[in-house]
Amino acid sequence: MSLIDRLFSVDRRWIFLFVMLAVAVPILFPLGLPVTTTGSTRAAFEYIESLHAGDIVWLSYDYGPSSAPENDPMAEAFLRHCFVKDVRVVMCALYPLGGLSLMNASAARVAREFPEKKYGTDYVNLGYKDGPEAVMRRLGENIADAFPTDVNGTPIEGMPIFQGIRTIGQFKVVFTVATGLIGEYWITLVNAQFGTPVIIGPTAVSAPKYYAFLNSGQLKGMLGGMKGAAEYEQLLARAYPAMSEFYHRTRLFTGTKGMDAQTGIHAVIVGFIFLGNVAFLLARRREGRA
Amino acid sequence: MTGLHFDIGRVLLLVCFGIVPLVGIILGFFAPSLRRQLPLIVAFVAGIVPILSLYIPKAFLSAPGQGMSPRLDQYLIIVAGFALPLGVVNVIQLNTRKVGRGEKGWFFSLVLLIGLFVMGSFGVYGAFSGTGIGFLPNGAPTPFQWMTDWLFQPLQSTIFSLLAFFMASAAFRAFRARNVEATILLVAGVLVMAGRVPLFDLLAYPFPPLKPAAASLTQTMGHLTEWIMDGPNSAAQAGIIIGSALGAMAMAIRVILGIERSYLGLGKGD
Repeated sequence: MSLIDRLFSVDRRWIFLFVMLAVAVPILFPLGLPVTTTGSTRAAFEYIESLHAGDIVWLSYDYGPSSAPENDPMAEAFLRHCFVKDVRVVMCALYPLGGLSLMNASAARVAREFPEKKYGTDYVNLGYKDGPEAVMRRLGENIADAFPTDVNGTPIEGMPIFQGIRTIGQFKVVFTVATGLIGEYWITLVNAQFGTPVIIGPTAVSAPKYYAFLNSGQLKGMLGGMKGAAEYEQLLARAYPAMSEFYHRTRLFTGTKGMDAQTGIHAVIVGFIFLGNVAFLLARRREGRA
Repeated sequence: MTGLHFDIGRVLLLVCFGIVPLVGIILGFFAPSLRRQLPLIVAFVAGIVPILSLYIPKAFLSAPGQGMSPRLDQYLIIVAGFALPLGVVNVIQLNTRKVGRGEKGWFFSLVLLIGLFVMGSFGVYGAFSGTGIGFLPNGAPTPFQWMTDWLFQPLQSTIFSLLAFFMASAAFRAFRARNVEATILLVAGVLVMAGRVPLFDLLAYPFPPLKPAAASLTQTMGHLTEWIMDGPNSAAQAGIIIGSALGAMAMAIRVILGIERSYLGLGKGD
């Protein structure tokens, strides 16, 4: 059997083994590869930087466990950024398959890092509501119509965080951490109809679509996939020494940690594509000669 | 006047979404043709009211909380809520049948049903007991949250991460420079994959003297990737988005006007 034939008939279990090693080794032995930042993430970060203490923002958990390794770091970096700047945060989940549980866990995790933040005053968790388009349209008229109570069943109307706040139009920004179509709804419904600026944190697979919205000015910024999350974490660590110290102490910036494994898997895939094409071109040349 | 407008909107909605479906169900037993006609009226009103409310500034159409359009939004939340139990009923019917008949893969259906009932029971218990489905006041997870953290989330993540293995295998076998178009796609794909991560830094990791050159290459590749995403990709995506939006508009008009009726789920002869 010639080298070309061997390449064509390589057992896919070898490929699986390389993939596993490319992911597992950097997780077990972190390399600390550098993360460069892109314009869309910087735009998102700078927009939040421009907010003042006391401003209010909306954070929507629009993803499920399947994309949590990509999306969780975005939501948590954004939440940390808001808390460190004393920006108030209203959270909700619009994704049916596990969005609520992820939000509960993520919010609890970050809130523990900021014990001075008071629930109901500095942040609130509104829980899950089905029917994202209808919910968004109701938010444009009266938030309490869509979410009469928070996740614990407490009416939101008496909460200090909602004093003087009635509609989504009064929020400085919506940050939707999204997989699927829900992120697009925030742009086409909330941004277009109520004028609230939107920042999105999509999975890497969905990110290409949102470049069109970025260029049209309908998005203030975007954190594309795990790379976007890692970039935001880096920007946060650079701007706030306390965050940098927190990262070095706890290693809880999971986007930055995940980039090592992601780089490994990209290297393996690019390598196999290269090998496959070398074999393909050699085979074509052989056929041409014959 | 406001009260009058309010009443008009309410009465119209009551007629359309209360009386018409009720009459349709009753008459449907005696006049089967009505089974097709009355849902079309409901769909027409549900579709046309939100559009009219954008262009006709009348209180009975668009007054916050009281107009027909905001009320329809509220109905949509309720209807969407009912869609979830319908899905659950469908899953139960399908899988109990499979288990009952001992069809191929019945064991997986059994596991699915056990998962559905166990997790669903904890969810229902959390809702009715007032403990919720998140965390208890002492910070401990509820049984539902515990199952999410330690079963649902790892299982979903595992299934999704299997994609990486299949993608690598498929990329090796199928991503070939067979013609000009495939070559352009291949080159763009490889550039973006290489430019989105510090690939050269990884390759230079064992060779410290090469690290500055690798960092510079990573920067260059990053800029190239951003150009591809911002330029050609963005232009193509804008075209796709506008095209699909126009398609959605055309489909909406067909549904509103009753030309498209497949959503009624009627078979031949209905």
